[in-house]
Amino acid sequence: MREIMLDTMQWFTIICIVLCIVRIFTTSTASGKLVALNVLSGVVLAFLVLRGVREGRALYLDVALVYDIFGFLGFLGVARFLKDKIEGGSEQ
Amino acid sequence: MMIREILALLAFICAVVFGIFGLIGLFRFPDPYSRLQAGSLLGTTSVLSIFIGTLLLSPNWSVAARVLVITLFFLISSPTGSHIVARFTWNIGTPVWKPSPREKEGKGKA
Repeated sequence: MREIMLDTMQWFTIICIVLCIVRIFTTSTASGKLVALNVLSGVVLAFLVLRGVREGRALYLDVALVYDIFGFLGFLGVARFLKDKIEGGSEQ
Repeated sequence: MMIREILALLAFICAVVFGIFGLIGLFRFPDPYSRLQAGSLLGTTSVLSIFIGTLLLSPNWSVAARVLVITLFFLISSPTGSHIVARFTWNIGTPVWKPSPREKEGKGKA
């Protein structure tokens, strides 16, 4: 029962990841892409946690925590870069 | 042991329902603001329900403690990311979606 539930949720999160990537490539504006990227970060974190609990190894969960921290920092950097870029372009 | 599995099953069903509706909203909404609302719903409620379910199903204490730490960090990082996206969208001057005149007229007749 426990293994069946965890495997089913892993497949559900994989479907969510694929749909979020499709959404990133089908929107045209930068805001839509950032919204999909924000969702994608959370769903990939959920997949890593499910995988770690399914295998019962704490090492995978350490990887998930580091992935979350660096994903958040990278996301912040991308938003900052895009904001500077678009503001500079509108001033000229 | 059994009651933990039943509670985890409830949490996973909650996660699937909120995830499906969040994905529908992410694909169907016309505006970055409303799409951000659906995305925050998926990112917070669905992922948090998955974390609660894995916390109930965790085999030993080291895994449970790490899941708890990840949950606490995710509760800080996910709303901050949504706020950054909303602020970016507002600062670059994205227009707010309004219903088209035909839909408004149909609503008035009904």
